[in-house]
Amino acid sequence: CAQPPRASAPAGASSVWTGRLALQVQGDEAQSFSALFELRGSPAQGELVLSSPLGSTLAVLRWQPGEAALQTGQQTRQAASLDALLQDAAGSRIPVAALFDWLQGINTPVAGWQVDLSSLPEGRVLAQRSDPPPPATLRIALTR
Amino acid sequence: SGLKSLENFLQNTQAGQAEFTQVVTMPAKDGQAARSKTSSGSFAFQRPGRFKFVYQKPFAQTIVADGQTLWLYDVDLNQVTQRKQADALGSTPAALLASAADLAALRAQFTLEDAPAQDGLEWVQATPKTKDGQLQRVRVGFAGEQLAALDILDSFGQRSLIRFSHVQSLPALPPGTFAFKPPAGADVLQQ
Repeated sequence: CAQPPRASAPAGASSVWTGRLALQVQGDEAQSFSALFELRGSPAQGELVLSSPLGSTLAVLRWQPGEAALQTGQQTRQAASLDALLQDAAGSRIPVAALFDWLQGINTPVAGWQVDLSSLPEGRVLAQRSDPPPPATLRIALTR
Repeated sequence: SGLKSLENFLQNTQAGQAEFTQVVTMPAKDGQAARSKTSSGSFAFQRPGRFKFVYQKPFAQTIVADGQTLWLYDVDLNQVTQRKQADALGSTPAALLASAADLAALRAQFTLEDAPAQDGLEWVQATPKTKDGQLQRVRVGFAGEQLAALDILDSFGQRSLIRFSHVQSLPALPPGTFAFKPPAGADVLQQ
């Protein structure tokens, strides 16, 4: 059954979530995608692996204090922090740090995003980005 | 030898269906143990170019290639992703091997060579000729002429082992098998 959302995340707790994630960017199919994901660690240090349903890895995002790297296919992109890395990564920005809270039922606000955690008990999260445009919808289905 | 089994399989098996179990293992990293995830479902293919993976566990997902388009339907997300089949084959090596028209078609894209017999199966290794970065190599395992396993290693070192069971070879499958129509109300993403 779905993990019941905990009131607050103990600092430094290392958690693992797996499931499917779909990002739909209005009018921009190139930035839209859906993939299996595995998110582990914490906003300070962790890893997000995106893979295709048939098991081949699409991208691996790793971060730790002072360093973040996004590996896709042949090339790796580095930056001093997770935010800096996501800022210039071609893909539309997914608020990775906030995901840790959202997936635990903590409604951490992220500028430009509205998140709906009402279906988290069924393992679902819906987040809508209004700013920066174009509007985007992030849907997550946790594997139970 | 694996290569002989592959050749016979491509020549004599026009279509088929099976159940499958898939174990995907990410390589162990800095002290963490290797982590693996298991999924299972049913698989069907028909030469050339059509295949269908229906995942039942741990979540419902259907992947259908109708010869032109690769459809991916995620039931929970109620979303269909549609891609031209030609550009999607890098990420579905399993399917390419099962639905390739013949050995020559395969040789155009993969270097094929015999691999040592293992787990009672004959193996052949296919290494992609184009380095699109997604795939390191695919091994195909045969029990005689029957497709038995696929062992996929991607460029991140992630390994996906698919084992087939209840394998049936057939002259053809019913026409509608590989036709996919997005369900009403589902989001359809063109990629």
